[in-house]
Amino acid sequence: MAVIEVEGLTRSYRSRTGTFRRRIAVVEALRGVSFSVEPGELFGLLGPNGAGKTTMIKVLTTLLLPTSGSARVLDYDVRRQARHIRGRIGYVFGGDRGLYDRLSALDNLRYFADLYRVPPRKRVARIESLLEMVELKGRERERVETYSRGMKQRLHIARGLLHDPEILFLDEPTIGLDPLGARELRQTISGLHDAGKTIVLTTHYMYEADALCQRIAVIANGSFVATGTPSDLKAVVGDHTIIEIETFGIPDQLIERLRTIPGVRSIGVETRDLAQVLLVQSAVGADVVRSLLNELVDVQTGKVVTREPTLEDAYVELVKSA
Amino acid sequence: MIPAILTGIRLHMKQASRNPFDLSGVIVWPILYATIASYLLDARHEPRLLLSASLGASVMLMWSLVVIASSGALEQQRWQGTLELVVAAPTPLTAVIAPICVAGALVGTYAIGATLAWGALLFDVPVKIDQPLAFAVGVPACALAVGMLGLILAATFVLYRAAFHLGIATQYPVWIVTGLLVPISLLPSFVRPISWLLAPTWGFRAIQEAALGRTPWPDIGMCFVLSAVYLVIGGSCLVAFEYVARSRGSLRLT
Repeated sequence: MAVIEVEGLTRSYRSRTGTFRRRIAVVEALRGVSFSVEPGELFGLLGPNGAGKTTMIKVLTTLLLPTSGSARVLDYDVRRQARHIRGRIGYVFGGDRGLYDRLSALDNLRYFADLYRVPPRKRVARIESLLEMVELKGRERERVETYSRGMKQRLHIARGLLHDPEILFLDEPTIGLDPLGARELRQTISGLHDAGKTIVLTTHYMYEADALCQRIAVIANGSFVATGTPSDLKAVVGDHTIIEIETFGIPDQLIERLRTIPGVRSIGVETRDLAQVLLVQSAVGADVVRSLLNELVDVQTGKVVTREPTLEDAYVELVKSA
Repeated sequence: MIPAILTGIRLHMKQASRNPFDLSGVIVWPILYATIASYLLDARHEPRLLLSASLGASVMLMWSLVVIASSGALEQQRWQGTLELVVAAPTPLTAVIAPICVAGALVGTYAIGATLAWGALLFDVPVKIDQPLAFAVGVPACALAVGMLGLILAATFVLYRAAFHLGIATQYPVWIVTGLLVPISLLPSFVRPISWLLAPTWGFRAIQEAALGRTPWPDIGMCFVLSAVYLVIGGSCLVAFEYVARSRGSLRLT
C-alpha cells in the first residue's frame, strides 16, 4: 500500500496589492497534481524555482492546507488528521535557518526530542547515535551560530531523524553546500534509503536526483510534466543527440534562425564565463552540425561537442514543453 | 507534553540570556521603573505608598517583559525558520508557545525583586513585607497569570507577521487599565470591568495586599482562576489561528 497518495491536489495563494485600490492576486502553486509513493522508495521532485516543489512538501508535512483535491500520508488525511501524521514524519529543509542559533546542537536536539515525544530513557542514546551518524560528535556543546553551513545542515538531518520517522521529507537539503559537504550529505541520504527509510526529496540538481532517486517527478508551473525512473525520463530525449557549441557574442536573431534548421528540435543557451554555449537537441542521425556551423560562420566559435543526452537534457526538454 | 514544556521554559530563558542586548535591558529597566515609582508618582514622603508604587512599577515591568518575550520570541522564530518546525511537531502549539510566555514572566519575577532592590538602594523605598508567605505565593501566581495573558496575545503572532508592533502597543493601555500607574478608583467606571478581566490587576493587588498585610488570598485565587481561563482561551485561539495560518500559508516569513 502506498504511504503517500495524492489525488488532484491544488494549492493557490492569495496576495493583496495596492494601498487605496486593493487588488487580490491569486497564484496557482499546484494545479491538480496526482501521484503516490511506495514504502521504502526514494522519490524525487525535480523542478525549477517556483515550480511548486516546496508547496508540495509543505502540504504533505501538514504545514499548508490544500485548496482542493486530497492528500493522504500513512493513510491519514493531511487536512483533518495532521496530528496523526506529524509524529510519524520528519521534515528537513535546506539552508542555515531552522535552528536555535544561540543554543548548542545538544540543546536543539533535546528540545526537538521532547517536541517529538522521544521517551526520556531513549533520548540520550538516540541523540548520541545521530550525532555520530552526522559526524558532529565532540562539537555538540558548541553554539550552533558558530557552525559552518554544512554542519548546520547535518544537524538538521539529525533533528529530522530524532523520532525515527517512517517518511523523511527533504526540501533541497544540499542547497548552498560546498561540493564536499553536498557529497557527504548525499551519502547520508543514500544510507538512510538503504536502511529502508521512505524519502521524498526535492532538488533542482540533476545529478543529485539521478544518483539518489528511484523515481522522479518533474514539476513545472505547478503541474507534473513527467514521472518515472531516471532512465524513463532520459528516454524522453533518447532519440536525441546533444550538440554543444561554444560561441562568443551570438545575437538573439541568429539563435532564432538556427532553430529553423531542419533536424533541430530545440536550442538552449547557457552562459559560461564569456561564452554562450548552445545546447542543440537534434534527432539521432540528423547531420545538423554542418548546417549549424554554416550559419555561425560570422560568429566566433570555440569547442563543438556531440554527446548522449543526460537527465538534465530531458529535464530541460520537459520543462520547456510544459 | 510536560517534558517539552519544561525544556521549552529552560531553553527560552537560556536563549534570551545569551543576547547581550536583552540582558542589558533586564538590568537597566528595573532602575528606570524604580525611578518612575519614586519620582513620577511623587510618593517619597509616604513610605507605604512608595512601596505600593514600587510594586506597581515592578508589575508594569513584568507585563512589558512578557509582551516582549512572547512577541519577540515568535517574531524571532519566524526569522530563524523554527516556527514551521515547531508547528510541524506532534506536540500541541500551546505547549510550545506557553513556555515562551512563562519564561518571560519568570524573568519578570526577577524584575520584581530587582525593582524593589534598586528602589531600596537608590530611593530609600522601605521593603517591608508584612505577609512573606502570601507574598512568596503571590509573586509566582502573578507571574503565571501575566504569562498566560501573554499566551492569548502570542496566538495572534502566529497569524500575523507584524503582530510584534501590536504586542508592544498593548503595554501602555494595560498599565493604565489595571491600576499599575494610577489607582483604578480614579479611572472612569466603564474601565473597571475591563480591569477585572486582566491578570495584572489581580497580580498587583495580590502582592500589594501581601506586602501591606491585608487580605491577599482572594486575589491570589483570582490569579490562578484567570490563568486557567487564559490557558483555555489562548489554547483554543492557537488551534484556530494555526489552522488559518496553514490555510493562508503565513507561517514562514520569507
